Amino acid sequence: MKRALAGILLLAVMTGAVAAKHDLDYQRLRASLDALAADPVLGQLAPAERALAEQAVQSLAEGGGRSERAHRVYMAERRVDIAYAAAQAAEQERRLTELDREHDRILLEASQRELQRARMDAERTRMESELRAEEAERLRLQGEQNAQEAESARAEAAQTQRLLDAQAKSAELARKEAQLAEAAAGDLRKRLSNLRATRGAQGMQMTLDDIAFAPGQVGLRPEAKASLGQLVAFVNRDPAKPIRIEGHTDSRGKPESNRVLSQHRADAVRTALVAAGVAANRITSVGLGEDQPVADNDTEEGRARNRRVDVILQDQAH
Amino acid sequence: MLALTACGPTKPPNIGLEEAARAIDAARDAGAPTYAPMELRNAEDRLSAARARAAKRDFDEASSLVQEAQVDSELAAAKSRLGKAREKVDARTHENADLRQQSDSGINPADVQGGQQ
Repeated sequence: MKRALAGILLLAVMTGAVAAKHDLDYQRLRASLDALAADPVLGQLAPAERALAEQAVQSLAEGGGRSERAHRVYMAERRVDIAYAAAQAAEQERRLTELDREHDRILLEASQRELQRARMDAERTRMESELRAEEAERLRLQGEQNAQEAESARAEAAQTQRLLDAQAKSAELARKEAQLAEAAAGDLRKRLSNLRATRGAQGMQMTLDDIAFAPGQVGLRPEAKASLGQLVAFVNRDPAKPIRIEGHTDSRGKPESNRVLSQHRADAVRTALVAAGVAANRITSVGLGEDQPVADNDTEEGRARNRRVDVILQDQAH
Repeated sequence: MLALTACGPTKPPNIGLEEAARAIDAARDAGAPTYAPMELRNAEDRLSAARARAAKRDFDEASSLVQEAQVDSELAAAKSRLGKAREKVDARTHENADLRQQSDSGINPADVQGGQQ
């Protein structure tokens, strides 16, 4: 307060205008201009206008006549008003610049938001279509898998069917084989149990078919038992007569081998007859090989007839 | 000065009448009829008075009146500048508030502005 008072006093002394101490116009305008200068915002603005106002206020202290003074007061008042108006206008224009920047910023933010929204929309659309594609792929794979499963089920069924068919076929074959075997055995038995005595050059004789022997074997087949019974009955019809057993073969193979085979088969029949109770001293057995064929060796049927064992009840003349 | 005034009838001194007139025109152009009509009227009245005084060869009084007309027109121009700036600030403030509202509610203000043009 003391300092302010000292300042005013100093100012008054400096102006050198004693009259100014009591000049209400000066004090009013001085205070107004000081307030403008002290204003934190307006005090920084319109310095040129403020300088003119300062000059006009100072000129009030220069005295002069009555009308001159009224003129100076008028001028100083207007200059102070102009300084205020200019500072306020500058302040408003500064605010306007800020508002313009804000305006641009809002538009920019809005368009950025718009862009962001558009990006998000695009991203969402992309993800949705990706999901749809994945779903479609999943369905496609599932369809493929289903088709594969159906296909393998079909294949499995077909395989099973083939297996069943094969089993049925092999069962059928086995049945047929059994039938054939049965038929063959029956046929064999029939043929082997149907021996007939015929007259030959040396006397009455019976011929044992080659089927009495297993192929390449010496011993008689079990099925030949019936034939053996007939043979025993045949030779016992006339116990006084000697019995000659001749083995024969077809012309295939070596003659010596054929002779040996025919001898063995004849021996086998002799052994069988002896075992059945026929006196061994009545019997002679010979292997004649391929030397005395009864049929053509060029056909299978002929060769079959040539493979035989003849049991001859010899007439006494021999 | 007195001698100059005495032999003045043939040639009146330049007291700035034309400059004051141009200052009034400038204030009028700046929008003073709208924003500072009272100050503009003061300037015009004082310029008229100055001319009248000058016609009566009272150049001292005329000069003072011309100076007053000059500051009146300067004040009119300054107040016009202030008034215009205030109007623009108000308009911009409202506009920005509207933009923010639109922007917050998801409307793109650029589109709205485009539509208005």
